[in-house]
Amino acid sequence: MTYSIELTPKQKEILKIVQADLPDSATPFAEIARLTNTSEQEVLELLTKLKDEGYIRRFGATLRHQQAGYDHNAMVAWYVEEGQDIDKIGQIMASRPEITHCYERRNCLDWPYNLYTMIHGQSEDDCEHVISELVQATGVTQYEILFSCKELKKTSMEYF
Amino acid sequence: MDKIDKKILDIIQTDFPLVPRPYARIGEMVGLTEAETLARVRALKEKGVIRRIGGNFQSRKLGWHSTLCAASVPEEKLEDFVAEVNKHPGVTHNYLRKHRQNVWFTYIGPSREHVQQALKEITSKTGIEILNLPARKMFKIKVDFPMHKSQ
Repeated sequence: MTYSIELTPKQKEILKIVQADLPDSATPFAEIARLTNTSEQEVLELLTKLKDEGYIRRFGATLRHQQAGYDHNAMVAWYVEEGQDIDKIGQIMASRPEITHCYERRNCLDWPYNLYTMIHGQSEDDCEHVISELVQATGVTQYEILFSCKELKKTSMEYF
Repeated sequence: MDKIDKKILDIIQTDFPLVPRPYARIGEMVGLTEAETLARVRALKEKGVIRRIGGNFQSRKLGWHSTLCAASVPEEKLEDFVAEVNKHPGVTHNYLRKHRQNVWFTYIGPSREHVQQALKEITSKTGIEILNLPARKMFKIKVDFPMHKSQ
């Protein structure tokens, strides 16, 4: 496997643990150091550096939405026509707290949608309400709503 | 979940302290001892509220390629198709959705070529065409959920 950053085998060992789950301990980083035969300071320095430089986007807990009360998600695929300002529209959509993901994506002939938002809410009505406000705010009127009906897989990527 | 649990979740979703005694630090912020804080985090894990605590890597920054894929899969082929897709470790999220395009999954791999090849193999094994929708621009990714809203 190749990465845009150089990592020693030991550092990869540390990241292998961190991409999964922290050890259950009051001193989890000392525990990682013990498991990888390094020092706690090395572990903390590596993680802090990767976080500061953006390789680690977020360091923290990942919740199961269902148990946290956010059990409905709607992906909306929007068709932003040529001539509309997709950057501005993307920013308007991204500014909504209910929207967790907003991406411009390559489209294709039989699927013209080029802007994607993931909306989380406590009901489908919640999600639809956000969508109608976004239509008002952006002037984008062609879209497909893709409500989730079943989670088929959800894991964290293993890079290391 | 009480108010303190929610406060703890808000802190550790966004910014788990990278210090030798993280639970002591979190405890200071919510008015608990280190032991009390750790006990609450353990309970939230056991209840299934917390799936994991760790690093979330930026695939593009690491030099990897990620994409969103969609497929229109007839009912009778669904089980086999989903089993084939989910076998791939690069598939991290997969949802059944209410739409003609009913299966939506993400694929992460070490390069664009690697991902394209993997998608081709899924299609040749299952006979199902896959829409490949790689990102051109990211406007937002924020997957921590504020707890103070839900009562």
